[in-house]
Amino acid sequence: MSVEVRNITKKFGGFTALDNVSLKVESGELVALLGPSGSGKTTLLRTIAGLEFPDNTGEAQVLFYGEDVTSIPASERKAGFAFQHYALFRHMTVFENIAFGLRVRPKTTRPAEVKIRERVGELLKLIQLEPLAERFPSQLSGGQRQRVALARALAVEPKVLLLDEPFGALDAKVRKELRRWLRNLHDEIHITTLFVTHDQEEALEVSDRVAILRDGKIEQIGTPDEIYDHPASPFVYDFLGNVNLFSGRVHEGSVTIGDSKFDVPETSGESGADTVAFVRPHDIRITREANGQKSFPARIVRSNAAGPVANLELERFDGGGRFTAQLGKEEFQQLQLKAGENVFVELKNVKVFSDDFSI
Amino acid sequence: MSAAEKTNAPHRRTEPPFVRWLLIGIALAFIALFLVVPLVSVFTEALRQGFGVYFQTLHDPLTLSAIQLTLIAAGISVPLNCIFGVTAAWAIAKFDFRGKNILLTLIDLPFSISPVISGLIYVLVFGAQGWFGSWFSDHNLKIIFAVPGIVLATIFVTFPFVARELIPLMQAQGRTEEEAARVLGASGWQTFWRVTIPNIKWGLLYGVILCNARAMGEFGAVSVVSGHIQGQTNTIPLHVQILYESDNFAGAFAVASLLTFLALVTLVLKTWVEYKNTALRGTAFTPVPIGKKAV
Amino acid sequence: MATRQLGAKKLRVLPGFKLTLGFTLFYLGLIVLIPLSAVFIKTSTLTWAQFSHTVFSPQALAAYRLSFGASFFAALVNAIFGLIVAWVLVRYNFLGKKLVDALVDLPFALPTAVAGITLATLYSPNGWIGGLLAPLGIKVAYTQLGVFVALTFIGLPFIVRTVQPVLEDFDPELEDAAASLGANRWQVFWRVIFPTLTPALLTGFALAFARALGEYGSVVFISSNIPMKTQIVPLLIMNELDGFQYAKATALAVVMLVISFLILLAVNVLQWWSNRYNTNNLA
Repeated sequence: MSVEVRNITKKFGGFTALDNVSLKVESGELVALLGPSGSGKTTLLRTIAGLEFPDNTGEAQVLFYGEDVTSIPASERKAGFAFQHYALFRHMTVFENIAFGLRVRPKTTRPAEVKIRERVGELLKLIQLEPLAERFPSQLSGGQRQRVALARALAVEPKVLLLDEPFGALDAKVRKELRRWLRNLHDEIHITTLFVTHDQEEALEVSDRVAILRDGKIEQIGTPDEIYDHPASPFVYDFLGNVNLFSGRVHEGSVTIGDSKFDVPETSGESGADTVAFVRPHDIRITREANGQKSFPARIVRSNAAGPVANLELERFDGGGRFTAQLGKEEFQQLQLKAGENVFVELKNVKVFSDDFSI
Repeated sequence: MSAAEKTNAPHRRTEPPFVRWLLIGIALAFIALFLVVPLVSVFTEALRQGFGVYFQTLHDPLTLSAIQLTLIAAGISVPLNCIFGVTAAWAIAKFDFRGKNILLTLIDLPFSISPVISGLIYVLVFGAQGWFGSWFSDHNLKIIFAVPGIVLATIFVTFPFVARELIPLMQAQGRTEEEAARVLGASGWQTFWRVTIPNIKWGLLYGVILCNARAMGEFGAVSVVSGHIQGQTNTIPLHVQILYESDNFAGAFAVASLLTFLALVTLVLKTWVEYKNTALRGTAFTPVPIGKKAV
Repeated sequence: MATRQLGAKKLRVLPGFKLTLGFTLFYLGLIVLIPLSAVFIKTSTLTWAQFSHTVFSPQALAAYRLSFGASFFAALVNAIFGLIVAWVLVRYNFLGKKLVDALVDLPFALPTAVAGITLATLYSPNGWIGGLLAPLGIKVAYTQLGVFVALTFIGLPFIVRTVQPVLEDFDPELEDAAASLGANRWQVFWRVIFPTLTPALLTGFALAFARALGEYGSVVFISSNIPMKTQIVPLLIMNELDGFQYAKATALAVVMLVISFLILLAVNVLQWWSNRYNTNNLA
């Protein structure tokens, strides 16, 4: 039981938005489509909803719980879609917006007015906007509009809920509140959900699984832990957080950077090959004393300790360039680090990708 | 800058008072000379021989038949151009296709054509020596120098009015609301009536008001295709001309005052729609002034 | 737009594409394109000698001269005063501003025949304004000056309505920036504000000019319609029509249409030009 797309290809003029994409979302799952702009994530979502149609008719398929809906128009697919800019009907009240999907049903399947009121009432309660039922969209805040858009999509009891950048147009604080709310909502109603985002933090925090898209292809799909800890490519690694690059040489489970040598747990690369090692800033340890070959010296160029963590910019002695490190406030204070000081640097969780060095 | 100046002037930087009042003075004098004085004089001239003559002219059977014909011409051309405007705007704003810019230019074309030529083209097609002239006369149908010609010429000169208001409006509104309606299960008609029409109603009304004003006031084009037969092929503006040229000035201005009144009502309605539109947040449309190119 | 080949049928999210575009093209063809093509087809039946005899006759040449001259000066006067009116309406507050703003569209709303008889009466030697000018030896009605007055009246709203929105959108920070760099008020206007208004001003000028070229109703009463003197081209075409000289009328119409299309093209180029800053920003 699932929502599935197979072999979707879609071009806009000369631009390939989707390149033979297949994806399966299990029933009740919450999946994030994560990627930079132009990676095809919104096009994929719109294709599932029936708002775009694949170019490769015949091969491409969209399946809702085993049923092929590829040639079924959007109006009959029963997919709930929340648009990036909400697309609320500006001339209707919140109540009427939510009721719309029920009111446009053919007479035979349209619920009675009492039922409609009841259903809309439930949804208003769910989105905690009962007092605002008679307001117009223009009288709501961004976060409220998003919740109305969600309620409107849910009103028709969709088979799948599709959210296009649901928090994209909101400010940082509302964003965080609303995504927690969405996760709770999903835990409550368990509807199969896909949402598009370009914010990796959002994707990692909210979803059961994350699909990372790049240039119209799915680069990697997995649980947030899997993709964060075991990124399949430098692109994924880079997209999920800040990263430092060190050029070096792989040798039997370790990488040589300058005169130092660090363990690489997951290397498959051949010995002696030139490579680029990836290290996250919070995987860099700063010490006052050298640790033999397992550290190298660097000078602190700049330090910034505002907020819960301290960020350092450092420069290697051997001319290998600058990199950034992040450490806990407490550790930072214990070490009493200052700009201009010389320290030793150890690298943890070094990642080396054997085939593709580009990001 | 003083606080008083800040509250008075919408813009923080402004000219010295002398320059300001000079410019306001020039603008008002220009408006007064070219707009207010003519406006006042229409009514003065109309009432020069008293209310008796005024109402007598308006009650004249020939005047009444001119009014009737004008209402018929507007009554046919406005709804037709309204349907065309909505249809064209739907096709152009909601879909992508090649040649859209050419289509937009062609729709605006009747505005850049002299009214006299607008009449002439129908004479060439339907007149006695025209393409279909003999066919129509064989079937005893008179187009030119008859009511159908007047209606056709009116349709032509008012052709772009509704379309040019709606096209930019619907383009600006995009298609996401319609898409949302479709995903929620609405049929095409339901989407159109429940989502599109409410969103464009003010723009539509605006276009209809302007279209109607031109339809009722058109002179040149109608003059070419009308036979100038009083009581039969005379519209209100043509009736004004006949009265004026027969030196019945009071009569001419009495009838003209009707049209002037129509113009004033048009301006009031137009201003009301603009005001209503800004008051209703969310349904905003930017009125396309008649002079400005729409798209 | 979302389309897909399904046999010959395209799938679209919103319905009615073929229906609406079909109707649009049908109606456009029926009302505008077919009748308009008649002018060109009719003219093509003339020999070059017949054609040039009509369109280069002394009477026609005099009519072009008056049409272009009067339209040009009318548009020029409107450009100057229209700019002032637009400026005053956007920048200053005064009593009756809303009324003036609404009144600007009067020449659009007022039927041209009414404008024609009113201006003819006002500017005749015993009219309100003509009476004032007569002692000075200035005759307006039934002269070329009268044609100019009528064309100024009908062109009045064009400049105001094209300049006004641009002026409303003008970012006052730009003025502040210029002032903070030491520009005086006149320099701010001339070097910062005026250049942004130029495309709109030129567009408005072209539109007013084009409208004036074709104008008939408001001119017919105030012009005495004397060939070679006060006859503009539309009046000349009308004269030929009244004499059932359809071929001649059509030949003249072709000349006017070609000129109108050229102005239309110019306006399109101008609009493209005035948008160039915006598109550059996007790139």
